[in-house]
Amino acid sequence: MAIIERPSDTVALAPSGAPAVATPGTSYGVFRRPVHTTGWKSWLFTIDHKKLGIMYGITSMVFFIIGGVEALLIRLQLAGPNGTVLNADQYNQMFTMHATTMVFLFVMPMAAAFANYMVPLQIGARDVAFPRINAFGYWAYLFGGLLLNSAWFLGGAADGGWFMYAPNSSVVFSPTNGVDFWGLGLQITGIASLTGAINLIVTVINMRAPGMSLMKMPIFTWMVMVVQFLLLFAMPVITVALFMLMFQRSFDATFFSVEAGADPLLWQHLFWIFGHPEVYIIVLPSFGIVSEILPVFSKKPLFGYPLIVFSGAAIGLVGWGVWAHHMFASGLGPISVAVFSVATMAIAIPTGVKIVNWTLTMWGGKIAFTVPMLYAVGVIVQFTIGGLSGVTHSVAPSDTQQTDTYYIVAHFHYVIFGGAVLGLFGGLYYWWPKIFGKMLNERLGKWNFWLTIVGMNLTFGPMHVIGIQGQPRRMYVWTENRAGEGFFNLGFWNLMATVGSFVLSLGVLLFLINIYVSHRKGTQPAPLDPWDARSLEWITSSPPKEHNFDRLPTVGHLDEFFHRKYEDRGEGERHDYHQVATAEEILAGEEANGDKHIHLPSPSYWPILLAFSLPVMGYGVIYNLYLLAGGALLALVSMYGWGMEPHTAPSDDYDPPTGTELEVAAHG
Amino acid sequence: MSHSREDHERTMSTDVRTTRRLQNVRFRSLTSAGLTAAAVLGLSACASNAPQDTWKPAGENAQKIHDLQWPVFTVAGIVGVIVLVFIGVIVFRFRDRGQAIPEQTHGKAWLEYLFIAIPAVILTAIAIPTVGVVMALADTDDTECIINVTGQQWWWEYDYEVEPDGTICGFAPSAGEASPIITSGQVVIPAGTKVLMRGTSRDVIHSYWIPRLNGKRDMVPGRVHYLRLQSDTPGIYAGQCTEFCGLSHANMRMETVVLEPADFQRWLDNELEPYQSPDEGTLAKEGESTYITQCSRCHQVNGLVDDKGTDDAGDDTLVVSYPDQFVYSGAAPNLTNLMGRNTFAGASWDLLTPECRDDVWGASPEEFGDKYLAGVTEECLNEIDLREWLRNAPAKKPMYADAELLEPTDGKTRGMPYLALSEDQIDQLIAYLLERK
Repeated sequence: MAIIERPSDTVALAPSGAPAVATPGTSYGVFRRPVHTTGWKSWLFTIDHKKLGIMYGITSMVFFIIGGVEALLIRLQLAGPNGTVLNADQYNQMFTMHATTMVFLFVMPMAAAFANYMVPLQIGARDVAFPRINAFGYWAYLFGGLLLNSAWFLGGAADGGWFMYAPNSSVVFSPTNGVDFWGLGLQITGIASLTGAINLIVTVINMRAPGMSLMKMPIFTWMVMVVQFLLLFAMPVITVALFMLMFQRSFDATFFSVEAGADPLLWQHLFWIFGHPEVYIIVLPSFGIVSEILPVFSKKPLFGYPLIVFSGAAIGLVGWGVWAHHMFASGLGPISVAVFSVATMAIAIPTGVKIVNWTLTMWGGKIAFTVPMLYAVGVIVQFTIGGLSGVTHSVAPSDTQQTDTYYIVAHFHYVIFGGAVLGLFGGLYYWWPKIFGKMLNERLGKWNFWLTIVGMNLTFGPMHVIGIQGQPRRMYVWTENRAGEGFFNLGFWNLMATVGSFVLSLGVLLFLINIYVSHRKGTQPAPLDPWDARSLEWITSSPPKEHNFDRLPTVGHLDEFFHRKYEDRGEGERHDYHQVATAEEILAGEEANGDKHIHLPSPSYWPILLAFSLPVMGYGVIYNLYLLAGGALLALVSMYGWGMEPHTAPSDDYDPPTGTELEVAAHG
Repeated sequence: MSHSREDHERTMSTDVRTTRRLQNVRFRSLTSAGLTAAAVLGLSACASNAPQDTWKPAGENAQKIHDLQWPVFTVAGIVGVIVLVFIGVIVFRFRDRGQAIPEQTHGKAWLEYLFIAIPAVILTAIAIPTVGVVMALADTDDTECIINVTGQQWWWEYDYEVEPDGTICGFAPSAGEASPIITSGQVVIPAGTKVLMRGTSRDVIHSYWIPRLNGKRDMVPGRVHYLRLQSDTPGIYAGQCTEFCGLSHANMRMETVVLEPADFQRWLDNELEPYQSPDEGTLAKEGESTYITQCSRCHQVNGLVDDKGTDDAGDDTLVVSYPDQFVYSGAAPNLTNLMGRNTFAGASWDLLTPECRDDVWGASPEEFGDKYLAGVTEECLNEIDLREWLRNAPAKKPMYADAELLEPTDGKTRGMPYLALSEDQIDQLIAYLLERK
């Protein structure tokens, strides 16, 4: 399944310029492997990590817009007292789906988009370890997200909050199918995360370019790997919880029925044992992106790279020991509360290390304020605020005042929007020329950035005040009776937050406009190395060829690309860097010495088919057990077909273009 | 990029000097300016008199939390300002002005250890008192009065137990024997008394929170949790259910009323007074019959007798509610002294007109007891909301999303159903309820 280098005697090199025609070969399994390299089929059956990365990105962007519209409706409802934009039922569905969509269908998959696209390029590999599983992961994510959102049209979406506390999630209290869709949708997207995690871990461990020891690995790849380990252990926990919920609701189990002797706190523990590592699953990829961007635009290596790696791993590890800080008010008993309180404070230390090392990376640098850099600095500033408000509620008694108020909403939006989403946008601007071969417009990008920053602070900043002055979360209306007096009463701040949310939306809208503007006909292709970057993904062309690298790079340094471009001619303590090669020269050298026998895995029908069986089973659980059986049958057939499929297509089926010496004009 | 070595060296040393000066001057002035601005902004930018302000403790438990949290907020604020100013200085100072490519340094070990040590010291200093306050707030040994509190969708019920010595919260009734007091919405506690709320839930998880008296505590079905409350200052302290509990979570509020001991004695005696039927021939008397036919299935009025029906012994029958037949949680608010409290329907609406409400809520601690104990008078009754409620309760407070979805609860409602009362019946009921105090 991995990339297999074909023995040289089987290579059928077409003469230059001659189209290689696909001819039927021996049929294996149920279907022959598909051979499409263009058209919609090439996307549907692709197992190319780059195409899948783009598909992850587009899909998560669509969900981001859906989640954003939900957020705007929430803010409109809360702009004034006793809002009437939504009714209670709609409001409860809205905040449940806003959080679920943003966490599971936007931030995680957007990080997966970058991980998919960039990790093989950053480690000098031609694809991931299990390309078909990679494709399966994307389709499972898409189908899971669609199943989850189809609830809107099938009697109403989930209404129990993204944390879905038992017993409020039981049929008695939530009689529509919304919670069923929620639980099943998340199980399906969870499968996607789990398979993706295994895939990327194996890829990073086994497929790094020669010379790239773990401590020479780009920091983004490091953070991605930490996240994959978190996913690997966290997803099974939520999966168990969701299975119990499914059996509770659909098959009359009593896991969470108090009258049958259950303790509703069981769900909370399961949810947060997953849910807290989830927080780091959300922010660490963005931390990786920021740690890539800062050195490039400061023209300095990352300050304390080993410590940033270690603190990332430490956050990942300690992140398992703090889940109960979401439950300080739930009646854990004082000993547990004290222990989790102190553990939560401890996690502030590795987090602080990151902030300090980021700022010291810029210290003494030569800082260029491009849009990606603005976003990276934005992350440091906004995440610092979110981190410090986090420290205030690591103090458990103080948290019993703040938890479930808007102060918490303010805190985690500074962390998730400020820490994760800003970083992801920075990554989009930074890697856009690499992925699409076009620069995003810098001027529009700056407007995009500043509107986003002003908007987010106007939206989430006032929530600190609203929360400290006692307004709880998840209320479909607030009353003037509890809003206090004076000009700056809670009504004023609620209105400000609503105004801010629209400013923020305008910022995001500018991003979409920027994509359009930057891809209009006639815009220049991006330079090969627009940012004077430092890591391996920039050694190849933009967008990269299907096989990523003509020659698999050999790595001698952290920041390999920088060291290929620059030479230090200083002596002793003095440094004097001279450019010795341009990106174009380096690329030309790579192409001239390309590997002769590149073989890529062929596309496959099975990943999308197997993934499709999952929502069929999901609808089956909700509506009809025969449908469930049908879905299961489809899954079995797909697994059989998958298993019987040859590792690669017969050589006459498929040969991707392999660069300058081999032109393949048409396929299938 | 083509700087000579000398150039580069000169730039570097100037950099260092400028940096030091910057650190000293800009740092100090910006830090102090930032702190002042933050303080001014923080104080002026908040609502005055927000009833649920977590920064205005009015009792010893909330005070303990506040004494712990304000230094933490202050330290966090100072650290934040320092970091942000530092970032500001860096991005200004080291912006690209054509300088040479800097040294490709990978870090300085001592600096990194220092920046691990500093937060470690600060956090240790925070952790120690934190553990102390956690333990202090979990203490139940010094309790002087226990009140049971039970959450259900979407209101709180209070149940004052009679102690073995015949007292309630240490107060003996002035006349007669004490019996348990069951009330809802507002809980009345004596000033200066260490009260322990002993809580659970009848359906989903709710959370009990009176911000000015203590942090919140979830009330979980099947479990009993405790929450300390205490205040020396008479007044009404507002709260709100803070664990999402379904459709009308936003309409599940509560208040703690603190009364001077003498006033608490008056309140207690009033609660224990025997039932008084309205005078014959009044609208209220008609309301009593309407109440018995329309409301008494779920809502209890202690001592109410049905003089139209008699039991086997030929006596008038005591009217006893049986809400478990109709409501999923199995409970409905006890209305014996409804007009002695000044909110209804999960403390979501006022029984007082806005003017009368302001008068009671804004009363000084000295005057508060008399004003609160006056209850709701005819002039002060907020008829608008009460009428709307009686006309169609679920329209005013969402209580189930869809009547067709009651199947899982065997047709039992969650909250008060629509009763199709006529306007005449509503008039009668309001007249009757006005006497319930």
